[in-house]
Amino acid sequence: MSQNEDEKLEAILRQRRVEPASQDLATRIILKAQGLPQIRNISLWQSVRQLFAEFHLPAPGYVLASALILGMIVGFTATPENTNETNAQIAAQSFLSADEGPL
Amino acid sequence: MPEPWPEKEDRELLALVQEGSHPAFAELVQRHTGRYYRLAFRYLQNREAAEDVVQDAFLKLWEDPQKWQAEKNTKFTTWFYRVVVNLCLDWRKRKRPVELNEDMPLIDERETADQAMLRWEEQKVLEQEIAALPERQRTALNLCFDEGVSNQEAADIMGVNLKALQSLLMRAKTTLKERMKSYL
Repeated sequence: MSQNEDEKLEAILRQRRVEPASQDLATRIILKAQGLPQIRNISLWQSVRQLFAEFHLPAPGYVLASALILGMIVGFTATPENTNETNAQIAAQSFLSADEGPL
Repeated sequence: MPEPWPEKEDRELLALVQEGSHPAFAELVQRHTGRYYRLAFRYLQNREAAEDVVQDAFLKLWEDPQKWQAEKNTKFTTWFYRVVVNLCLDWRKRKRPVELNEDMPLIDERETADQAMLRWEEQKVLEQEIAALPERQRTALNLCFDEGVSNQEAADIMGVNLKALQSLLMRAKTTLKERMKSYL
């Protein structure tokens, strides 16, 4: 009896009625999507590449590598006079700001 | 030469959609609209609402296709079932339950008017009882009696193990059997 009820219930469940969808549902979705922009999650590297492409610059990898090499060359070729000059500037700054302390 | 879209797998189409391909998206929509509409209809019992939910789900996919991640090894259909089920649940929370359509067509033209009436009433009561089931039992029932969804896939969609799904199904069927005694 119970098995019979189980079978009947399963049969009713399988016969659940589904009203057919509109014929043009898929077409409507496709057309609607054509007017929608996609959200693009781009990485930092991709945005740098886009920026370079926008300004017609060479590949970012080459530019960054060249800048790094140039920086290293400039760093290594800095003369002692330049360094002394910087030290002199720092000394002047500390001399000027020393007066501001008591005020 | 046009791309052979029907031969492509969902995964390949999704990769193209992620690159912004409209034809790939169109193929996915044509391929799967029917099955997701049927599921949404079973939840909402209203054609317009079910169509809105399916449209919403596909448009969300188009707008942000990166949400589907191939590397997570989830089948597109399984993942998208989850999307549609969640949208159906949201829809039901936001809106009052819809009344069943009164002008149901006759299922079989060979039936007598009495038989058809009885069948219609049986279906109406069944839908009301299913709508009254707890959410997870209803989801299990809707997924498992939908064409092509195996118990394992339904368990994956719901994020439970197979045993838990079977238990949900059994509880749902026991409740329905009790409440529909006069029709069985």
